[in-house]
Amino acid sequence: MASLKIDKKPVAVPQPKKLSLMKKVKRDWQLLLILLPGLIFYIIFRYGPMYGMVIAFKDYNVYKGIINSPWVGLKHFRNFFTDPAFIKLFRNTFMLGIYNLFFTFPFPILFAILLNEIRNIKFKKAVQTASYLPSFLSIVIISSMVIDFLSPSNGIINNIIAFLGMEKIYFMIRPEWFRTVYVASEVWARMGFDAILFIAAITGIDQALYEAAELDGCGRLKKMWYITIPSILPTIATLFILKSGSVFRIGFEKVLLLYNPATYEVADIFATYVYRKGFEDMNYSYAAAVGLFESIVALTMLLITNAISKKLSEQSIW
Amino acid sequence: MKKKKWTLFDYVNTLIMLLVLLITLYPFIYVVSVSLSDSSYILQNKITFYPRGINLKAYKMIFESPKIPKAYLNTIIYTVVGTTINVFLTAITAYPLAKKDLVGKKIWMTMIIITMFFSGGIIPSFIIVQRLGMIDTIWAIVIPNAIWTYELIITKSFYESLPNSLYESAVIDGASEFRILFQIFIPLSKASLASITLFYVMGHWNSFFIPMIYLNDMKKYPLQIILRDMLIFDTARRSESLGEYAALTPEALKNATIVVSILPILALYPFMQKYFVKGVMLGSIKG
Repeated sequence: MASLKIDKKPVAVPQPKKLSLMKKVKRDWQLLLILLPGLIFYIIFRYGPMYGMVIAFKDYNVYKGIINSPWVGLKHFRNFFTDPAFIKLFRNTFMLGIYNLFFTFPFPILFAILLNEIRNIKFKKAVQTASYLPSFLSIVIISSMVIDFLSPSNGIINNIIAFLGMEKIYFMIRPEWFRTVYVASEVWARMGFDAILFIAAITGIDQALYEAAELDGCGRLKKMWYITIPSILPTIATLFILKSGSVFRIGFEKVLLLYNPATYEVADIFATYVYRKGFEDMNYSYAAAVGLFESIVALTMLLITNAISKKLSEQSIW
Repeated sequence: MKKKKWTLFDYVNTLIMLLVLLITLYPFIYVVSVSLSDSSYILQNKITFYPRGINLKAYKMIFESPKIPKAYLNTIIYTVVGTTINVFLTAITAYPLAKKDLVGKKIWMTMIIITMFFSGGIIPSFIIVQRLGMIDTIWAIVIPNAIWTYELIITKSFYESLPNSLYESAVIDGASEFRILFQIFIPLSKASLASITLFYVMGHWNSFFIPMIYLNDMKKYPLQIILRDMLIFDTARRSESLGEYAALTPEALKNATIVVSILPILALYPFMQKYFVKGVMLGSIKG
């Protein structure tokens, strides 16, 4: 009995995990010190600009600074929403984003599936290695290649068009061509890179599935349709959701390099407009207001897609 | 593996892949060919697959030009300094965040993750950098993007995947957190750090928008800005005048500059692509 009593005494039990905050800080001081430079970076260069967004409600003056510039309320937002440019920018940003999403998405998948069917390992490797070469190029170089290849005077595309007996097209100054040019060059530049994940997903498929299908007399196309595609469907779905969440975040640097006043009508998007208003017209506050609006729209888009995907994934098999 | 007969599908598929190969590689072949060709052939549109009238004049012009070698040096400096800061900060910041019971971990993580979805935008960022007096200095290039959150999270996940016993035995041996980080965690994460290094290097080497807004002094321009002035503005002017051929910069020089600017990347390519693929895969684990 006595021994039992002794056993019940919680002498050897280590101190419970509930340390006071001060004690925890004392325990982790080295870790906190290591974390500090990174935290300072985030506070100044990520949260600083968030605070700086207040200039959207002020008339920012370089000499007065952020704090002392006078408040103007919603003036810049009112000006922006009543500007005819507003609808145009909204439409252009949305359209370019949607086009980009729907046309750049299928190519890497198709490429990964077809590449998987190549039997010669060396050839397969060579194609894949070459395919992500363009993703190492800068946007400046990609844009300049686009302009050069489409040039009416000596671009190869127009040379082919002329060779086929058709009339040369001035791609870069034709508004109706802008989106096509943007999206096609995006496919060229990103297909190999985006395919990496799909190729990995295909490599992970259990080979026994294919062997079983073969015994059942399935041909190549049937195996692709009934095994490869369903197996990578979860990867496809996840990536599609991720991408559609950022449909508003278009690579505006390429737009900036490819557009010109002749194509503004379709090419001008929120980000490029912010750039021109801010850095060319020096209208910081107005540009910040447009930027803030864009950030909110982009965030809303992301939250909506996220909510939809949650709903769907709860109900669907995965 | 049984040898199987080639079916129609194989022929068509191989043909498609050859086409992909051609479309991917052709721009590179073209750029190199033009850079090596004689201008008379270029003006007559005679260059398609290989150089004609081979000469190195354009490359000589690059060395003699007042701007390009300087810009090249600037790019190298920005890339080296910038990447060093990036990798160092990412590698150390990820370490405390990988600890399960770090004090305030939730707060720090939330604070960091939020910045992936919402940002102040370019104008307020510019104003902050301007207020800090960084305009026209190297600091404007290397500091405001010192940590990429995505790479930080990849590194954090990698640290988390290292066995906990490693950490515990080091603690028992009386090692400080600093020693554990620099002598155990970082050396063990070489492969993963190599791939984030690669992404940071590519980011700096190819960066054009950041130097464009933060640098006004032409002497400080990196290569990408010179390339933009030479390639895009010049060509844009040309196509706006509806095909009238009045290039300010010779075609061969333009293409030679492109070649020179991607040469270091191409030289490292076989070595880097392993880490490149790895980096993409690491990112997907988290997603």
